[in-house]
Amino acid sequence: MTWPERHVRVSQALLYLGILALWEMLPRAALVPRLFVPPLSEALTALVTHHRDYLGSLPTTFGEILAAYAIACGGGILLGQVVGASATARRVLLPVLRSAYAVPLVVLYPAMMVWFGLGSESKIAFAAIYAFIPTMLTAVAGVAALTPALAETARAFGATRAQQILYVALPASLPSIVAALRLGGALVIVGVIVAQMLGAADGLGYLITRHRTLLDSPGVYAGIVLVLAITGLHELILRRLERKVAAFRQGD
Amino acid sequence: MTRPLVAIRGVSQHFGADGARVAALDSIDLDIPDGQFTALVGPSGCGKSTLLSLVAGLRLPSSGSVLCDGEPITGPMPRKVGMIFQEANLLPWLSAVDNVAFPLKLRHVAKAERLSAARRMLDLTGLRGFEDRLPHQLSGGMKQRVAIARGLVQNPAVLLMDEPFASLDEQTRMVLGDELLRIWSETRKTVLFVTHSLNEAVYLADRVVVMSARPGRLVDDIPVDLPRPRTFAMTAGERFGALKDRIWQHIKSAERR
Repeated sequence: MTWPERHVRVSQALLYLGILALWEMLPRAALVPRLFVPPLSEALTALVTHHRDYLGSLPTTFGEILAAYAIACGGGILLGQVVGASATARRVLLPVLRSAYAVPLVVLYPAMMVWFGLGSESKIAFAAIYAFIPTMLTAVAGVAALTPALAETARAFGATRAQQILYVALPASLPSIVAALRLGGALVIVGVIVAQMLGAADGLGYLITRHRTLLDSPGVYAGIVLVLAITGLHELILRRLERKVAAFRQGD
Repeated sequence: MTRPLVAIRGVSQHFGADGARVAALDSIDLDIPDGQFTALVGPSGCGKSTLLSLVAGLRLPSSGSVLCDGEPITGPMPRKVGMIFQEANLLPWLSAVDNVAFPLKLRHVAKAERLSAARRMLDLTGLRGFEDRLPHQLSGGMKQRVAIARGLVQNPAVLLMDEPFASLDEQTRMVLGDELLRIWSETRKTVLFVTHSLNEAVYLADRVVVMSARPGRLVDDIPVDLPRPRTFAMTAGERFGALKDRIWQHIKSAERR
């Protein structure tokens, strides 16, 4: 028997609460050294103590994430639609893209710092490149799954060109676009934070690294809490978008 | 005889450019009277589906003309001609009732009106209670019933069916064949039914039109003089076998070439 939706929700909430409780209790019970993981409450206290630093780092961080997001998802989804629509382009490009995807692009970051400097440009460039290929591959898969038979059926029932796009092509490809946005966004956040940790003068990743060199674990985890909050926010936005997409597909 | 509902006049169809031109249909003449159930059979690749898509208005003939109710077909005429494909081709994100109502939505029919029309059609095709299912929650036979309901929802005079049962298992195919005959006797549509099953053609149709291998020509036009309603017992009868044999002789010689 399948579980009712309410049970699933409650279990998920309990799971989250359990993780947070363990985060608080394991260090307090000295089962985990506080230097490695300080209790959640200490991380939150550090966040309040250093709130000027952390709040000050957010504009840079969000700016870099949004710029890289626009490049990776805008370009990746657009190019994905073009490549996905052509069987030949898929045959030529997909194997190349897949092998490029396997390269750990983080090795390029030092080179990018040389090209773009220590400022935001190098973070944006790295995060955008890091997220571009997977985003594009996701978009390609969605377009390739679009069957011409559905468009032909709609045409047989008198759909105009505009109706074919509005009622068939768009609803068919929107889920893969949302999936591409979700993956691209998650990777861009990783890319920006990692780049900031490896070499920057500002940003959340930079603050995490700075606190780490001072062996200030609560400070490090205060930054981690903020990174978690950003990914949570991203997920929230995408769920809302998904609901909108679902409503649009019903055509009401 | 009254004016044929569908008239195919000297229709030829070529594909490709001059150098690599492939002739698919060669001067086809065919009149289909109102209310007749016509089956179109022929060896694979003979252009039966192409002929159907010309009547559907999905493409235009290279030469000749197709008339429906005296009017030349220059594009899809969904209010006169309903189409049912080999695959159900339902929009996977729409429920059964929304799929059936889809042709009406394209014509901007008010929501309440199109949903009630769609529900009536789902009743007719035996899908009461399944209105809100999504296509992936339906069996292959049920999906094809939804497609038939969608083909009927605008009450077209002509129903075009392109091997509609070909991707179903044999039992489902037989059940749906009987269902189709019931619906046809209730609605008295003019049906043009493409199939590669000789059994299906003889069992369902008033008349079987046989096409040759590519380029498709009409090689025989066989009236099916079996009484209605058709029964399963007839399929074992002598007359049934004789009709099937006559069609088979054409197909066999065409496939050998």
